[in-house]
Amino acid sequence: MNPLKKLIKWAQRKSPWIIHFNAGACNGCDIEVVDALTPRFDLERFGVLQKGSPRHADVLVCTGAVTMQTADRLKNIYDQMAEPKFVVAVGTCACSGGVFGDCYCVKGGIDAVIPVSAYIPGCAARPEAIIDGVVKLLSTLEDKKLQPKNPIVINSEKELADMLDEAEAAEENTETENFEENKAKEDNENA
Amino acid sequence: MEFFQMLVFPGLIFLSVYSFALEYFDRIVYARLQNRQGPPWYQPIADFFKLLGKEVIVPASVSKLWFKLLPVFAYAANLAAFLYIPLTSANSLYPFSGDLIVVLYLLTIPTLCFFLAGYISEGVYSGLGAVRALTQLFAYEVPLFMALLAPAILADSWSFAGISAYYSAHPIMMLVNIPAFIIAIIAAQGKLERTPFDAPEAETEIVAGAFTEYSGKLLALFRFTVDAELVVVASLLAAVFLPFYASNFIISFILYLLKTVFIVFILAVFKGLMARLRIEQIVAFCWKWLIGIGLLQIVLNVIIKGAF
Ligand code: SF4
Repeated sequence: MNPLKKLIKWAQRKSPWIIHFNAGACNGCDIEVVDALTPRFDLERFGVLQKGSPRHADVLVCTGAVTMQTADRLKNIYDQMAEPKFVVAVGTCACSGGVFGDCYCVKGGIDAVIPVSAYIPGCAARPEAIIDGVVKLLSTLEDKKLQPKNPIVINSEKELADMLDEAEAAEENTETENFEENKAKEDNENA
Repeated sequence: MEFFQMLVFPGLIFLSVYSFALEYFDRIVYARLQNRQGPPWYQPIADFFKLLGKEVIVPASVSKLWFKLLPVFAYAANLAAFLYIPLTSANSLYPFSGDLIVVLYLLTIPTLCFFLAGYISEGVYSGLGAVRALTQLFAYEVPLFMALLAPAILADSWSFAGISAYYSAHPIMMLVNIPAFIIAIIAAQGKLERTPFDAPEAETEIVAGAFTEYSGKLLALFRFTVDAELVVVASLLAAVFLPFYASNFIISFILYLLKTVFIVFILAVFKGLMARLRIEQIVAFCWKWLIGIGLLQIVLNVIIKGAF
C-alpha cells in the first residue's frame, strides 16, 4: 500500500460525517441520535460532523423499521452517497423491525432494503451505545467481514406497487398509488 | 528563487498549512464556547484526505468541465490574492501601486465561483444557495470595500506599502479607523459565509447550499478554498488595520501569526455567539447600518486628512 492510500485509509477512520435518516421510527431513537450530537456528548471529538447532503456524508445513520413509504426513499438516499459508505442501524426497530415488525406496512429492519454495517439495538438506543457503535465501526473499518456480502436490494417501483395492492386491496386507493408512482419517478430523475 | 517563494513562503504550501491550522483554531474556539472539548488537532487534515479518497459524483445533466473547473478557479483566485498581501514586511511579493484594489477584486472571484457552482448544479437546494450567495455578495461587498478603503484614503495611497509607511509614521491615526475595523470584521464574516451570515449554506434549511451536489475531491477543494479564504481575509485585515512589521524576519513572522490569530479569534467568537439571520435581514442590516457607518468613517477620514 502506498503512503497516500494509507493516509486516506487513516483519514477515513478519523473523519466520519454522518447523515441521519428516519425510516419510520417512533421518534424515540431520533431524539437519542440528536442527543448524541449535542455538546454534552461532543461527537466532534471523534471527527463526527452532521451533514445535510447525502453526497457529503460517509455514514448513514438510520432509525426505525422501514415502512413501504420510506423504502424507496431510503434506497435513493443510499444510492446518492459517494463511496465508500456505511450504514448504521440505530434501535431495535432498525435492526429487525422490532415491535413494528409484523405490521402490514412494514418491510422489516433497515437491512431489508440496504446493506448494514453496524447494528445498535436498544429501545431506544442510548446515546452512549450509539457513540460506542460508531467508534467500534470506525476502528474496524478495514475488516471486510463487516461489509454484508449480498446486499438485499428491493426492486423499487413494481414490487412496491404490488405490495401496496395486496395490503390495501380492500380499499380504493388510486390516489395514494398515483402519488407513490409519481414520487418514485421524480426521485429517480433526481438521483 | 521567485518560484520557490510562490510555492513555499508566502505561497501555496504556507497557505495550505496555515489554513488547516486556522481551521482547527476556529473549530476549537467554537467548541470551547459550546462547552465542548472540540476536535483533535489533525481533524482538518483528516477531513481533507478523507474527501480526496471518496468517489466523485457528477450529476448527469451538468457540464462536466465547469463542474470540475470551478473549485480550481476559486482556489487559484485565493492564492493569487494571497501573493499580493504583505505578510512579514511592508512589501508583498509583487508590490505595485493599487495592489489593495486588485486584492479586493480577486477576493470576489471565489464567491462568484460558489455562485456558479451552485447555479450549474441544477439542484433546487444548490440553486437556492447560489442565489443567496450572490445576494449576500451585494450586501457585504460595499461595506467591506468602504471599510478597507477608508484607512487607505487617510494614508493617501492605494497600496499596502503606502498604508504601512503612513501609519508607521503616524501610529496615533490608527485609532481613527476603529469603526472601519469593526465594519470590516462584520463584513468579513459575511464574506466568509459564517454565522450569523451563513444563510447561503444554511445546513438546517437548504442542505448545504451551493455545494450540495459536490462530493469527493471537488468538495475537498471547495472546503480548502473556504479555509484559505479565512487566511487571506485575516491577512488582508491585518495588513490594512495593523500594518506594523519588525525588521527581523522571525519577529515579523511571529507578529503576523499573532495578528491573524487575533482576527480569527474575533471571527470565531462572533460565530459562536450569534444565530443565523435570514437573507433579507442580512441585506437590510448591511445597507442600513454598515454602509451608514462606513460613509461616516470615510467623511471623517477626508476631514482629518484635510485638517492635518
Ligand atoms: S427502537 Fe424503540 S424507540 Fe427506537 S424507533 Fe423502535 S420503538 Fe421507537
